[in-house]
Amino acid sequence: MSGDKNILYPLTGILSAVAILLSGLIFAKEPLCPVLLAGFFLWLLLFGCHRACLRVLLPLLLVGGVFAGITYAASGDGQSALSMMNRTAAVFLAVVPGMSMTPVQMTRCLSSLHAPRAVTLGMLIALSFVPLLTLEIRRVREAMVTRGAGSLFSPQIFYRAFLIPLITRLVNISDTLSLSVETRGFTLDGKDYSIYHLQRFCPKDGLYILGIAAGIAGMAVMA
Amino acid sequence: MSAVALRDVCFSYDGQNQVLKHISFTAEHGEITLLAGPSGCGKSTLLAILSGIIPNITPGTLTGEVCIDGASILGRGTDEICRQVGIVLQNPEAQIVHKRVEDEIAFGLENLGLAEERIARQIETVCKLMSLDTDWQTRTLSGGQKQRLVTASTLAMGQKILVLDEPLANLDQTGGRELMELLRDLAGHGYAVIVVEHRLDLVLPYADALWAMENGTVHRVTETEAYLRTQTRKIADNLPLFTPEDDLFTLEHISYRVGDRDILQDVTFSVPRGARMVILGENGCGKTTLLRLIARLNRPTGGKLTQHLEPGFDRRSRPDRAWFRAVGVVYQNPNYQLFMPTVRQEVAFGAVSQDYADEILEQFSIAHLADRHPQSLSEGQKRRVSIAAIAATKPKVLLLDEPTVGQDYHGLKEQVELLNELHRQSGCTMLTVTHDVRCAEALCDRAVLIADGVVQRQGGKELVRTYFGV
Repeated sequence: MSGDKNILYPLTGILSAVAILLSGLIFAKEPLCPVLLAGFFLWLLLFGCHRACLRVLLPLLLVGGVFAGITYAASGDGQSALSMMNRTAAVFLAVVPGMSMTPVQMTRCLSSLHAPRAVTLGMLIALSFVPLLTLEIRRVREAMVTRGAGSLFSPQIFYRAFLIPLITRLVNISDTLSLSVETRGFTLDGKDYSIYHLQRFCPKDGLYILGIAAGIAGMAVMA
Repeated sequence: MSAVALRDVCFSYDGQNQVLKHISFTAEHGEITLLAGPSGCGKSTLLAILSGIIPNITPGTLTGEVCIDGASILGRGTDEICRQVGIVLQNPEAQIVHKRVEDEIAFGLENLGLAEERIARQIETVCKLMSLDTDWQTRTLSGGQKQRLVTASTLAMGQKILVLDEPLANLDQTGGRELMELLRDLAGHGYAVIVVEHRLDLVLPYADALWAMENGTVHRVTETEAYLRTQTRKIADNLPLFTPEDDLFTLEHISYRVGDRDILQDVTFSVPRGARMVILGENGCGKTTLLRLIARLNRPTGGKLTQHLEPGFDRRSRPDRAWFRAVGVVYQNPNYQLFMPTVRQEVAFGAVSQDYADEILEQFSIAHLADRHPQSLSEGQKRRVSIAAIAATKPKVLLLDEPTVGQDYHGLKEQVELLNELHRQSGCTMLTVTHDVRCAEALCDRAVLIADGVVQRQGGKELVRTYFGV
């Protein structure tokens, strides 16, 4: 397990995300697929991903409902609509392990596995950038409103007032972020580095991945 | 042997326009070296050269000799130089990589390959020095706390040469003094500390050497007291004595909580109509939050905030365009609020009339920039345009969050005079959050001091003087 309590070992999380996505897509047409996906949801809840689970639940239901509704309207087939709902749910559930991971866990995990530093750096910047992006979007939206440019009825102003400040900020932030990483000694040439809190695969991770595998295997047998 | 020595250094970003012109500069171990000068004169470029960012990351044409501890750095990579030279960049928020304070500080130490126990010790030491908690979430820190965190992250790495680019920009007086005392202590232990800063009143008493930069050249200043006087003369307030009539905002037992953290606990005061009010307080005390509550960008979690602008505003649950025409909010970072293709259009956007927009362009001395893209301007010019754009809507209230951060003395003086002139002409109520001793008194009729989530004191200019100890 990682230094943070109740969080999955990062590679376990990635592996399970791939498994959840693929199994959800493959078994989407099976009648028992919703049960499998609900099982994944509960399993993720039990293994420390509760915050991310709760955050995706509403978007999952909304987006899945919309897609299922469109499918039903187009085909008139309830089974197709349910399959669409399953596929959407699989995509959202596959995001959960990633959302529960922090950049530091991923960096330390990759470092401990002696992964190429370029991969570690890419993952670090990508994961660090997501919360920054979210924050910046919120701030730019808010700044737009304070300038009276928040109206959706003027799309030209809306996009101008949103995109230009956002892009300016993101370019600025990414420049500074990369400088910050490099001036704090992160190198690509594999110079000696250490790991503050080693990320370790532990029995709980094994149990978690076994549960996911058992669910998929059970589904394959019954399908 | 000097810690840092530049001899006849020239630098150009584009190969044509020289940003640094035949510079010779030294900094010694055991000393704090202050580098001062107006915005855009090349100070940050000089620091980027010292830390290897130029030419390794930021390209350009560099000539001359740059030596660290006697050895030339030309041809050496940033990864090698950063083991000798620690740098604290501007814009602390964009430098933070991790979610927790502990992990953020550990990041550089891991890259240096230190053992886990030593990393833990270093983290504990710098957190204590910089008043940080290892478990704090980095995204929820205030501007000053973020500044302390990036400084702590660099200090923890233990390089003997430290370069700090405007480290006091977001710090309050106490935080600024504490940081300078810490740097003084490090210098006493043989460190070479190079600081670029506009807040000379805070830094100069601790500095051993002062270098002034102007137009890409640098020279050592020996008459430091005289230089300090030219850069820190108190900005005069030429407005007549304020006489309060009625209140525009009334705050009664206002509280604001994020998660399990109380930002404001029981804030009660009122803002007189037409006053210039300054909100004072230490980093993280909730000044910006208070401004956001008044702007209705956030809602208080407790208490009652009443506005007496227009009764109609209360009927709408969310602030709308009409509200923000009446209440102008000027952000600390002007980049958020500039989006039109030219300065002229930027100021005209939302202006009460085209004529008034043109008048504002003249008044703010930005008419010569009218056809420029706002994002192509210098930071000082952007700030001026953002204030002009808000002023063109003729707001009844102007809320300013740290409007002077990173401004040199000349720019600051101009900005304060502009704001006061705007206030004189329009009679708008002006609320300013600031840590800047140079301008606080000049922007103040009333002052309120926030501490521990409550109003600790209220007063006028005398409160500003007491708070800043001037």
